[in-house]
Amino acid sequence: MEGILRNAARAAAACATLGALSVTLPAWAQERPLVIARNLEINSLDPHRAFCDTCQIYLSATYQGLVKLAADDRSIEPSLATEWKANDNQTEFTFKLDPKAVFSDGSPVEAKDVKWTFERLKNLQADPSFMMKGVTAIETPDDKTVVVKMESPNSEFIGILAAPYAGIINSEVASSNGASAGADAATADKGETWFLANSAGSGPYVLDTYRPDDELRFRANDKFWGAAPAVKEIVIDQSADAVSQAQMLQSGAADIAMQVDPDTAETVASPDLTIETVPSYNYIYVSFSPGAAGNQTPLDREVRQALAYAVDYQGAIDFTVGGKGALQASPIPNGFPGTDDLPMPEENLEKAKELLAAKGLQDGFTVDATVASINVYGVDLALLMQKLQQDLARINVTLNIQPVASAVWRQQIVNPGIPFSARFYAPDYYGSAQYVQFFGMVPGSWWERNASGQGKVDLVNQKEVDLLQQALAASGDDVARLYREIALEMINDRIIVPVVSPNLILAYRNEVAGVRYSACCNLPLAELSMK
Amino acid sequence: MFAYVAKRIVAMPFLLLGVITVAFLLTHFTAADPLTSIIGERQMNNPDVVEAARQRWGLDRSLPEQYLVYLGNLVTGDFGTSFRTRQPVAQDLIVRLPATLELVISAMILGTVFGITLGVFAARSRGGVIDNLARLFALVGASAPVFWSGLLVLFVFSVQLGWLPGPGRIDARAVAPPFVTGFFTIDSLLAGDWAGFRSALLHLLLPASVLGWTVTGIVSRMVRASMLDVLSQEYILAARAKGASPVRVLLHHALRNAMLPTLTIIGFSFAYLITGAVLTETIFAWPGIGSYAVSAARGLDHPAIVGVTIVGGAAFLVSNLLTDIAYAVVDPRVKLGAKVGA
Repeated sequence: MEGILRNAARAAAACATLGALSVTLPAWAQERPLVIARNLEINSLDPHRAFCDTCQIYLSATYQGLVKLAADDRSIEPSLATEWKANDNQTEFTFKLDPKAVFSDGSPVEAKDVKWTFERLKNLQADPSFMMKGVTAIETPDDKTVVVKMESPNSEFIGILAAPYAGIINSEVASSNGASAGADAATADKGETWFLANSAGSGPYVLDTYRPDDELRFRANDKFWGAAPAVKEIVIDQSADAVSQAQMLQSGAADIAMQVDPDTAETVASPDLTIETVPSYNYIYVSFSPGAAGNQTPLDREVRQALAYAVDYQGAIDFTVGGKGALQASPIPNGFPGTDDLPMPEENLEKAKELLAAKGLQDGFTVDATVASINVYGVDLALLMQKLQQDLARINVTLNIQPVASAVWRQQIVNPGIPFSARFYAPDYYGSAQYVQFFGMVPGSWWERNASGQGKVDLVNQKEVDLLQQALAASGDDVARLYREIALEMINDRIIVPVVSPNLILAYRNEVAGVRYSACCNLPLAELSMK
Repeated sequence: MFAYVAKRIVAMPFLLLGVITVAFLLTHFTAADPLTSIIGERQMNNPDVVEAARQRWGLDRSLPEQYLVYLGNLVTGDFGTSFRTRQPVAQDLIVRLPATLELVISAMILGTVFGITLGVFAARSRGGVIDNLARLFALVGASAPVFWSGLLVLFVFSVQLGWLPGPGRIDARAVAPPFVTGFFTIDSLLAGDWAGFRSALLHLLLPASVLGWTVTGIVSRMVRASMLDVLSQEYILAARAKGASPVRVLLHHALRNAMLPTLTIIGFSFAYLITGAVLTETIFAWPGIGSYAVSAARGLDHPAIVGVTIVGGAAFLVSNLLTDIAYAVVDPRVKLGAKVGA
């Protein structure tokens, strides 16, 4: 008995020692940086090679574009450029730079930096290079004026320039560290390694430290020419999943958790935390590829329409994100130009059966459904596919689900093609053309190529091609009207059928202010403050 | 013994070459083109972007050419550049290997000390309460999946009780100590950063305990079985008859002889944990070699996959050699390199 008591006393002492060590945790937390828990998944910190959600946060904090997206997620505001104008047919854009603007080393932002930046973005032939597609010349009449000329009209160019990837780089600093903007930049550029440890922008923050899969640390740019950010140091800390992020938030190890899903959010209710649910522009869709090699049954428009009618959309939203999501009419997301009053997707089993019967397919058929085994925006794509499998079974259509790694999916969707699948999309900038150019049945779009089996079947919708050309040359209210017509055409194509636009969960400690979702930048760090 | 060790060391590069060759070939026979991980979806149909990426990453060369270039670079210490992190693989490994070693060594120390202690006590009180409790503890440790036990201890000790910090190697608000050894506990001490040391140590406790628990389970069972075997030997009876104290009999006569098979287990466990601490590293956001390997495999990051394989292969070779040497040290009857019957 005495031994037991002695051991218990030792155990209590050990616990007390442990407790004493941990009790001091809040003390270190004073004067502390703001911590964001997030799965980093960064592909690069080079502004012209980066292409990821965290990259958008990083680039919009450390670099500034000529213009920026306003807090309403629709309007464009001045940033490095105080004013800009386009010619009548949207082929020439002139920008006047703010004379006060300086880079983080104190040197002025000049027209030569803009020219160098745009030329590198174009010539590097990397992921965001498409943003400079059609640019034929960049002229610098003086230090503070830039003129960009396009080969064809592009009414979205100003919107594109608000994307984080179009942030202006200090050309002298970058060039002296191996970066190249010349025509041979794709092979000559050696700047990426330097960009992984340094930033060269004019934004409110500079890169302090980057350790892949560990942390991304910012500190305030002490030479920032605008209003100084309220938080001096911000850390995005690697946290792979929603549960870990929620635990960090609850324990106080993190101030903001960025990827908490609805199910997890329900388990972290606490008076110390704010959990907001906001609509997003991200969405999950199903795709049909009539040209895929594995098709047993021709997936013509009527068959695709029948399958789309058989989907229980509301049930899918309830099943995948616990009802915290929205229906979406077309591949252009809700809230983007041209999406007002579009007809929402409809579940109608009778119509589905009628359409299949008219094709002699009333007994159903089997279709291959390869899908990437990933969870994105809180939606497990393989689980969603199981829900769709149940839905389509009601019209005797059998989905042969094959979960694969994401990289394998990306190869198979191109060749040999995947007849029926599910995928996700998030905007690269605010503007509807990106969706037409990616999802539309216009020649060379990613989905026109994939859905047609790289041209085995003709899926091109000439009306969409014509309308897109008109929209890119239009201005004012005509833009939204033309994109609405395109959206209706894309709905009618039935190649891409949006299923759910998941809401975003903004989870943060009560003492944090300024947390908001941005269409271009995810989380604008410069707006954060501590109460 | 010296000649034997020298022979083994000389053979290591050739064994590693075999490991490198197999790993290199296997990564190139995967189902997907690594370009799908390098280039975003939007650009996969853009021939200019695809061509630029192929050239940049050397994927436009034939497989034999890639292999020879890789071997040539390897001789100079260049493990290639990671497709995913875009940093030299050698640099990634230098940063991550110490993280894993710090975790694994801590886990091995905890697991081995507890495992041997439990095993000895269990053998001493065979069939008693202590034996049954020790066996239960060992069984749970050896069989409980780390993804469950890890999340459980995080929830209890970090979220509910608030005694210990959550995932990561150091408090996210603290700055990592300057790199000397890569062990945050040691580097923070070297930097005179006591707060950093405390933070690093507290962050190490949970993952090392969870990982160490599995080692405890394996080691204690092995020690118990060996001890029971040894304790029934006649020389133990003789030692007792000569009046040796129970503690001396247990530790000096029995445990020393029971340690031989245990050393093998410890050696293999160490090498296995170097690359096998994947789940622990993932759950505790521990940026080590295991989580690096998983991300590399998922991202078709060929240079990183081969780099990790080289490290894993080297770890096994070195730990095997050290285990053999330890055998000779613990048991003088073992003569390394001696011919059978000689």
